[in-house]
Amino acid sequence: MTEGKKLLIIDDDPDFVEGILAILEPAGYDVETAYNPKDGFDALESKHYDLLLLDIMMGRGAEGVMIARKMRKDPKLRQIPVLIITGIREQIAYLFPGGPVHPHFVDVDELVEKPVEPELLLDRVSALIEASEERKAEGS
Amino acid sequence: MVEDKSKILIIDDEEVVLDSCTQILEGGPYQVATAMDGTFGLELVQEFHPDVVFVDLKMPGIQGFEVLDRIHSFDPTIVAIVITGYATVNSAVEAIKKGAYDFLPKPFTPDEFRVITRRGLERRKLVTETTALRREREMLRDQFAAILSHELKSPISAVQQNLFALESQLSDQLDEEQSNRITRMKSSIDDLLKLIHTWLRVVSADADIQKIQEDFQPTSIESVITKAIEGVQTQSTRKDIEIQIKIEETLRPTHGDEITLVEALVNLLSNAIKYSRMGSKIFVTAEDKDDEILISVADRGVGISEEDLPFIFGDFYVGEASPDGERGSGLGLGITKRIVEAHNGSISVDSALGKGSTFVIHLPLVTPNR
Repeated sequence: MTEGKKLLIIDDDPDFVEGILAILEPAGYDVETAYNPKDGFDALESKHYDLLLLDIMMGRGAEGVMIARKMRKDPKLRQIPVLIITGIREQIAYLFPGGPVHPHFVDVDELVEKPVEPELLLDRVSALIEASEERKAEGS
Repeated sequence: MVEDKSKILIIDDEEVVLDSCTQILEGGPYQVATAMDGTFGLELVQEFHPDVVFVDLKMPGIQGFEVLDRIHSFDPTIVAIVITGYATVNSAVEAIKKGAYDFLPKPFTPDEFRVITRRGLERRKLVTETTALRREREMLRDQFAAILSHELKSPISAVQQNLFALESQLSDQLDEEQSNRITRMKSSIDDLLKLIHTWLRVVSADADIQKIQEDFQPTSIESVITKAIEGVQTQSTRKDIEIQIKIEETLRPTHGDEITLVEALVNLLSNAIKYSRMGSKIFVTAEDKDDEILISVADRGVGISEEDLPFIFGDFYVGEASPDGERGSGLGLGITKRIVEAHNGSISVDSALGKGSTFVIHLPLVTPNR
């Protein structure tokens, strides 16, 4: 089921990305990486992805939020499910993992905290892709 | 450039004083404005934003003292100097008590006026520099939070993430000892991350707490307690501690912020567990009494000695070692107290060494018409 699914990670911390790749790739995902918001957004616009893993705190501030906002405005991009991976739980105001209170940026998104346990990561990624595909099937 | 000139405002009902003062300062690096009475003078204070204001104490209309007061409530960094025609020590002292920086007795020579103007401007410079420094210190504190969160947390998160990955990659090759070693590493890093969260919480606590007051709403105490207990479940299960809850059925809501109230209670519960023995019990009760809600957390743990009690709500207070040698960050109770006080409540404690502690949070009830 994971075979052939294309994911994009946008995160400015290559070390952290390594730790995510080492979990997603063995599970069969085809993962591309972008280490800054600009490259990330260019990739989103030029290729097709089944899911985006997005860091919030990048560059000079919450540049991940800017990406999410731009995606929301684009009818095509807003259909890509997004897993927000962030280290700043207090700024996003949620207290317990699994009980996120966060602004829904796009149609299908969820938020997990850095660092993320492998099982939780794989679970969320596949659930989000599934939810997004179901949504598309209903819509068409 | 006009902008760089120091701005001097003179408020005096004698035109001759205004004219001569303007003349004395002419040609210097000054921009001078004048007003014949207090009312117009105060208008100019707001429009002209002077650095130094000379105020005649004896004027018709608004009195000089009143003008002084209003200048200070508008901008306390403006330097005010009083001009006094009846150079009695009394009125000068009175004016300085009201916040005037200096006084100028009439009649004065051009030199006296120039000197006092210069001194006033030096004072102004000092005051504005102090204000800027204070602002800088506050910004530094906020910056510190950002640095702590990004520069310190990011690498630790990355290490933990890679450890997670390594563990799952090696899952079928690790023997028990190796896998225990990884578990211990993960738990140490997790403690470190939690500690950073707590620090961040303290650094940003005052600002954050002001923010929560803006969105207070009726909050169910029962829901707060339930969520807080969920939050410490892993901890209590690990020590086989039973948490007994007794919530008054008719308990009314408080006016507050659920997330931080849960946090406050989690801190109390987490301490109760930390300082209890294995298999012990913790009692949580909630009731309303008179005009307030009382939430109590009682343990039968190690207790707090009488001489330590006054310090426990301060930042960085850490209690005597818990039964299993755990140590806290010393910040939980301080944060709890701040949260409770932001809710216009208070927190009290009753404790006996060797017998246990009872913490009680007092919160106001939602008052009608609010």
